[in-house]
Amino acid sequence: METAGKSVPTIPGNTFLYQLKRKLPYIISYGILAVTTLPVIFMYLWLIIQSFASNMKYGLIPEGFSLENWEFLWTNIVYKGAELPSIWTATWNSLFFAGMLTVLEVLIGVMAGYALSRLTFPGREQILKITMILHAFPSIALLIATFYILNFMSLYDSLFGVVLVKTALQIPMTTWIIKGFFDDVSWDLEWAGLIDGCSRIKVWFRIVLPQVKPGIASVSIFSFLSGWSEFLLLYTFIVSNENVTLASFLQRLTSDPNMVNYGVLSAISLFYLIPVLVFFIFTQKSLMKANVGGVKKV
Amino acid sequence: MKVELQNITKSFDKKTNTIDNMNLTIEDGEFVALLGPSGCGKTTTMLMIAGIYKPNEGAIYFDGEKVNDLEPKDREIGMVFQSYALYPHMTVLNNIAFPLKQQKVPKKERLERAKEAAEMVQLGHLLNRKPSELSGGQQQRVALARAIVKRPKLLLLDEPMSNLDASLRIEMRAEISRLQKKLGITTILITHDQEEAMTLADRIALMKDGRIVQFDTPMNLYNEPDNVYVAKFIGTPPMNLVEGKIMYNKLQIDKQTYPMDKSRFHLEHGKEVILGMRPYDIQLGWTEEIRFLGKIELLESIGHSKIIHANVFGKRLQLFAKQDFQAEIGAEVRFSVQPAAIHLFDKKTGKSLRKAAPYGDEMFVKDAALQ
Amino acid sequence: MKTVINKWKLPAVMLGPFLILIFLFFFVPVILTGILAFTNMDSAMNWEFNRLLNFEKLFSDPDISLILRNTLLYVLFTLCINVFFGLTLALLTTYFMKKEQFSLLFRTIWMLPRMTPPVIYALLWIWFFDPSEYGLLNGIRSLFGLPPVNIIGTEPMLIIILANGVIGASFGMIIFSSAIKSIPEDLFYAANIDGAPHWSIIKDIIMPAIRWPFMFVTLWQLLSLLTSYEYILLITNGGPLNESEVLALYSYHKAFQSFEFGYGAAISLVLVVIALVCTLILWKLFKVKDMIGPSRID
Repeated sequence: METAGKSVPTIPGNTFLYQLKRKLPYIISYGILAVTTLPVIFMYLWLIIQSFASNMKYGLIPEGFSLENWEFLWTNIVYKGAELPSIWTATWNSLFFAGMLTVLEVLIGVMAGYALSRLTFPGREQILKITMILHAFPSIALLIATFYILNFMSLYDSLFGVVLVKTALQIPMTTWIIKGFFDDVSWDLEWAGLIDGCSRIKVWFRIVLPQVKPGIASVSIFSFLSGWSEFLLLYTFIVSNENVTLASFLQRLTSDPNMVNYGVLSAISLFYLIPVLVFFIFTQKSLMKANVGGVKKV
Repeated sequence: MKVELQNITKSFDKKTNTIDNMNLTIEDGEFVALLGPSGCGKTTTMLMIAGIYKPNEGAIYFDGEKVNDLEPKDREIGMVFQSYALYPHMTVLNNIAFPLKQQKVPKKERLERAKEAAEMVQLGHLLNRKPSELSGGQQQRVALARAIVKRPKLLLLDEPMSNLDASLRIEMRAEISRLQKKLGITTILITHDQEEAMTLADRIALMKDGRIVQFDTPMNLYNEPDNVYVAKFIGTPPMNLVEGKIMYNKLQIDKQTYPMDKSRFHLEHGKEVILGMRPYDIQLGWTEEIRFLGKIELLESIGHSKIIHANVFGKRLQLFAKQDFQAEIGAEVRFSVQPAAIHLFDKKTGKSLRKAAPYGDEMFVKDAALQ
Repeated sequence: MKTVINKWKLPAVMLGPFLILIFLFFFVPVILTGILAFTNMDSAMNWEFNRLLNFEKLFSDPDISLILRNTLLYVLFTLCINVFFGLTLALLTTYFMKKEQFSLLFRTIWMLPRMTPPVIYALLWIWFFDPSEYGLLNGIRSLFGLPPVNIIGTEPMLIIILANGVIGASFGMIIFSSAIKSIPEDLFYAANIDGAPHWSIIKDIIMPAIRWPFMFVTLWQLLSLLTSYEYILLITNGGPLNESEVLALYSYHKAFQSFEFGYGAAISLVLVVIALVCTLILWKLFKVKDMIGPSRID
């Protein structure tokens, strides 16, 4: 009675120190993120600025705008006294490579994924196990033997040959992911199709396939991008100028330390990066999902 | 269409039989329910009739013709799935017309028939919607329309109402009953809900562990259960079961003895038995011949009446009382039952001791006796 | 008999291309690598068996101790960055960051290096550490009047560890984030109400939930780091003077630069054996029997 109304209990939330203490972990975490992320942002920012600048001060500040660096689009670059093939040849080859890869990978992956998800046949379990082991298998260690095989099949220095190799290297993973999509389609739906008069193959095409379309789309994008980005296989198995792709094109210019012209390099990089950026911006969310969806299952 | 299952056995892992030597005959135009707890093999049985699973042994006949190797699409059946299995990428109309499209029915006729089927389930106004835009009840109607549109000779319903809420369920029950009568189509319904089975089916096949325990009309299942398992499964609240022993034509429970009707039951001196009494058959007060004295353990009000849980011989029995029945917990209660209303089962085999009872299967009840 | 053929026909057609690719570019290469390792095949492509000579050569190779040391450093430190930085990023973006748009933005930025074609990614690092004043680092140093430094030349291992670390960290980030996100919200609420501090929530709620993803990422990255060398090839090419050469890259160089295919295959074989052991461990740990469920249509 005597102290009622007088003693105000201290509410810790009122003190500045308390608020600071509460928010500190968040402030620190934003801080860490900002500091670590900044260099990454800088790198990509530089690509854009450098390609349109005539000269760069301190490596990052542009002096004057120019399109000089983009001349490679209409004239062929002369390098080590020899003229490099046109950028458009390389672009076309990259498109062909990535496109072929996507078609083959998705086609084969969808067929095999469905079979593994839904059909009964002897050896199914073994194939599944092999698929799982292979998708962790370091295929890159087999490059020498692959070279021998390509040579044997007269597919050395052929884009199609490399498409086959790349498809093979990615198909266990792709098939596994697609199998996961098929696993999610309800059996009721497939049974309903059978009862409604479809054959097994027709059910697959008419009923089941439309359900996994979004999944197939993201797998397609993924495989296109990985084809577009491919370097090592093309660098190893492609030698002739007419089969050059953007990756090798850029790498040839980068690898000579005496002749580094960052203006041109950044312009070509940016040009090469366009599809990646476009896909990345538009499909960022679903890509993340496909990425996770594939691996989460392991 | 008449459907016959002869000695059907189905196993998925070569060790245990999901369906074990099943025999079942369904007459033309009949509505049969496969009733049983989950995992008893109902759906497996239905999928075998549909042709999606193939039996390991035995034969399935449609109108006397063996159909074991017939593909589902050639069996002239329609089916409604528990999840409805509507094709999410097609509109309602296309969903319904889909089976006809597979039969290569010309487009005009196809759409007409699909619309007609949609009308039949009162869906005429929703034809252009996608399944995801429909309510559960509407989806169910689409599934039903899709199942009947090709005028199948056999309609299979796999727990069609388990995803609906209570009021919709009663509405759909009436709808299905009406359609089945109107089309006169042989129908098999899977359900774990005994009320659904009782109200809809002409005959019910009660299943347990891959076998049919009793196949009979709903009333016979209720009034004359062939064994303890059926007695326990059919009826809510379930039948009261008390263990006892036959002593010279009388039933002895604890120290009490009760007269038994010799003309109704096989009474064998010394046999251990189970006495069954439906809660509805028990009267309050000692008005009938078989009398009990119990202690009230719980009193539940269910609106139109009350359920008394009474403890007799250490067992808890349930019986009904009027809405206005009042009593203290722990109070004594007297109740009785007519000799004509009781059931008697062999404790060892679970089989009914009723004189008219057919020779039953003994295996069910080893464990089912009193769990 | 007819039904037996029918039962086989569909799976055979659907799996055919998949199996052919796997056979051609996984099985044959593994066997071929095993055989090639015991030959001294060179650019003339002749089969000449030399028994264990390649392996004896490997053990007496003057560079081998340096290469093994590099491999160990590379794998160990990169793995640490992958796992711990990945975990940090995941924690910061999922747990500490309350705004979904922000965390998505940060994760998107961190995904960029992974999506960028390797050639461009390597170029960005080369530019960042360019020894001339055109590089970002030296540009900034010149701002303060400091002389340019050549870090790629003096500390090549540091650069390749950082470059690979960032790429791998985004992999860890994705897996960990999705694992953290799958923890029921209620758990965090309950912990908050109970007054648990951040570190205790991390220790008692988050860490137990990502135990398996953690193991998975560690083993998976270990496996891929052992055998991957694409970024090293692009940034330092193992130089200067083998200072950043790792075993996998050494095998590549031996085969495709010195054309000692036999010797290269022998080194690959060593890697394949190590990788196989890792794969088997991965397989044993993450056994997923339920994913190999049988078909439900006879």
